[in-house]
Amino acid sequence: MSSHIENLLAKVKVRDLQLQPDHRIDPRTRLSEVYLAFDEQRHGAAMVCSGDDVVGIFTQRDVLNRTALENLDPDTPVSEVMSDRPVTIGLQHDLAEAIQAMVEGGYRHIPVVDENKKQVGLLSSRVILRFIADHYPEAVLNLPPRLHQVMTRPEGG
Amino acid sequence: MNCPNCGFDNIQGTDLCESCGSDLAGLDLLEAQAGFRGRLMTDHIGNLPLTDPLFVQTRSTAAEAIALMREAKHGCVLVLDGKQLVGIFTERDVLTRVVRPGADPQEVTLAEIMTSRPITLSPSDPPAHAIHLSAAQGLRHIPVVEDGRVLGFISVRHLLRHIHENVLGAV
Repeated sequence: MSSHIENLLAKVKVRDLQLQPDHRIDPRTRLSEVYLAFDEQRHGAAMVCSGDDVVGIFTQRDVLNRTALENLDPDTPVSEVMSDRPVTIGLQHDLAEAIQAMVEGGYRHIPVVDENKKQVGLLSSRVILRFIADHYPEAVLNLPPRLHQVMTRPEGG
Repeated sequence: MNCPNCGFDNIQGTDLCESCGSDLAGLDLLEAQAGFRGRLMTDHIGNLPLTDPLFVQTRSTAAEAIALMREAKHGCVLVLDGKQLVGIFTERDVLTRVVRPGADPQEVTLAEIMTSRPITLSPSDPPAHAIHLSAAQGLRHIPVVEDGRVLGFISVRHLLRHIHENVLGAV
């Protein structure tokens, strides 16, 4: 009996996942506006797009590494501090491939593009973990008091 | 959940096979013992490769913590009072408590900007607990503590790697 999750990760496509289209910003967006979205809307990253082309990504990790101690003008455009030409993943790829790309690159966020390489939204590792949690609610949320306890009959009745 | 009688792939938790009507009650519970899904429940976080944390004291400044995090490429530092874990300071706190309010990182101390009494995990907890905390509460870094001693921390990147290696590595 094959484990359900191997099938799930191979069957589910990036297009089936909850993507975040509102994490998209223009290269001229000021740092102060990016910080506002990161703080108040709890965005972990912003996908920087020129039209529908993904030109960069700027994440909370970049705030730590590139801007926190640098005394930058809050009006600095994000294009000056973003990572250029980030790795992207296509809508048609499966979840396993998305996880692989993120693990290999050490990314928590990856921009998603369509077959014409136009931006669709941002995929975050949190959404992936939530997806797994949602599909294994009995494993993730309803842990029994003793973990090795397995009821032999439904409801333990 | 495949029917043992006819092999039909039923929806998880179904009591009767949709194809041949065989009794499937309880099968999904036994299946939970096997494979990655079972290990989510029965494995222990202590068996995962944890990261050695960076430690700072409550009187350390934000600038000192940020410099350490940059050098080690970590997203958090753990804050000690003496030897006791009293807080965590993460990249999110850098943004929300230093950068946005315009605090001077050379002046502000971790006692003022850390998250006190952080949520921790025990090495005997299953990986499922860490996934739940990350997915539901958005925690990216969770200290693993045993008898008051910090063993390391687990991050979202760890969890993704764990899933990647245990599922994709097996394929």
